[in-house]
Amino acid sequence: MRGHDRDDVRLMVSTTESDAHYSFTELPGLLQPGDLLVVNESATLPASLPAASRLGNIRLNLSTRFADDLWLAEPRWSPSRPGPLPLKEHEILKIGEAKAVLLQQYPGIPRLWFARLDTPASRLMAKYGEPIHYSYAPAYPMSNYQTIFSRFPGSVEMPSAARPITAHARDMLRSRGIGIVGIILHTGVSSLEIEDETVEHQALYPEDFRVPEATANAINATHARGGRVIAVGTTVVRALETAWTPNGIRACSGATGLYIYPGTKVHAIDGLLTGLHDPVTSHLAMLSAIAGLERVKKAYSEAIRNRYLWHEFGDSHLLWRQGAN
Amino acid sequence: MKGVALVTGAGRGLGRIIATFLAGQGRDIVITARTPTELHDVAQFLEGNDVRVVPIPGDITDPAHRTRLLQQTRAMGSLSLLVNNASDLGEIPRPELALASLKRFRLTLETNLVAPIALIQESLPQLEQTRGLVVNISSDASQGGYERWGIYGSSKAALDLASKTLAAELKPRHISVVSVDPGDMRTRMHQDAFLGEDISDRPLPEVTLPFWAWLVGQDPERITGMRYQAQGTLWEVPA
Repeated sequence: MRGHDRDDVRLMVSTTESDAHYSFTELPGLLQPGDLLVVNESATLPASLPAASRLGNIRLNLSTRFADDLWLAEPRWSPSRPGPLPLKEHEILKIGEAKAVLLQQYPGIPRLWFARLDTPASRLMAKYGEPIHYSYAPAYPMSNYQTIFSRFPGSVEMPSAARPITAHARDMLRSRGIGIVGIILHTGVSSLEIEDETVEHQALYPEDFRVPEATANAINATHARGGRVIAVGTTVVRALETAWTPNGIRACSGATGLYIYPGTKVHAIDGLLTGLHDPVTSHLAMLSAIAGLERVKKAYSEAIRNRYLWHEFGDSHLLWRQGAN
Repeated sequence: MKGVALVTGAGRGLGRIIATFLAGQGRDIVITARTPTELHDVAQFLEGNDVRVVPIPGDITDPAHRTRLLQQTRAMGSLSLLVNNASDLGEIPRPELALASLKRFRLTLETNLVAPIALIQESLPQLEQTRGLVVNISSDASQGGYERWGIYGSSKAALDLASKTLAAELKPRHISVVSVDPGDMRTRMHQDAFLGEDISDRPLPEVTLPFWAWLVGQDPERITGMRYQAQGTLWEVPA
């Protein structure tokens, strides 16, 4: 984090032609009346659990909820030391008095396991959980992992793009005639993305999402008026592109495994407000689908040259789709 | 979801994966297939799960065999999940519909359409008690109109319609029915369908595990009547 305030971060705006540098607090003035922001209203869970195993004390990061007692989970040596760990099917991990049985590995992503819990995960997280964090950041208090839009618990990593939006900024946006509506997409762990460097080979697991009727209507009305729709976060893009049809966005819920890779045509949004992501991730693949690979590469060089801060507590980036700005 | 599961065609391929997943879930399970050796292998493989696994070899087109299966699920509790997975590809190599043996066609329909519906009819008392779920395994051949897939495809198209109809009819009794297209997989059946061809680019049936995990986490009554693609990018829950 740069300073004490959430909005004390920088904002790079990338259009088709150029990159420009602002303070995040200038965001309302960079958008136009009639534009619409779409935020992810999923709240973050304390999904990292201490576990005792045959291999000693490890961490079990819950990733994806199928049922309260069935999760996709990532066993790690520690927050900074990933797996895969030499674990076997039917192996039992102890979380306090509770047991987690590792059932099978996720197809194509061997570091993720289907795990059956003998105690509801919600209870284990309440008692033992802490936020999932990696080597580049310590574990902050849970409230640091929520945005002002977080309403529905379910993500294991913060949908962080809206983090710098303060209540004041929200009011400023609304008073300028810029709408804000929500979707819900519960994020899983992001750590697996370092496994395969070729985006085509990346297996992605599905994530639970919901695009409410009111949100679908607001997006379609914005586009009908010629306004721009800005996704706040890549999770929003994933949800909206899943809900997209040639007739517009429809209300929709379930699990989405949609992977937006470079070359995918992005229909639902005109801009993306997001953080700065590691060069080899599905996030970056999505950015390339929106603005073009060369354009994103140039913007990232610009961000590096200007010492932008990376990751979920870092700086922000507003990227316009080709032809949208 | 608690209660007993019944998986047909569980001796290999997709059925074996579904049975393995359900046993891992802690579900008591009755499995059936025509080849006893394969079925007993699966039962043995599932022993480590601390659940009851009962293999009953036989042919689901045989009414006496179906009775045995449902007596067993009753003896273990009550059936709450019926997976109609056993399927017959038909003549190999796959003939054009215009030239196909009608006698052989009828056998395919018996296995792929009539027997699953019979199992559903006969298990209604148990499914009603548990507010259970029926999963009928379909195929993209049911919608494709691909050449030489007319026998298998039309049996699965009919099963899809039966699933949707049953979902509507059984809704008042709180019994749910879905249809699942597992997608192309590296299985014996797929190899039989593409005799002599290299199918090593197809994923193993384990690729469907995430879908089964998702499916068992859903409220059956909210998804009844849906048709899912296990390898698809969207598994929708209707509003």
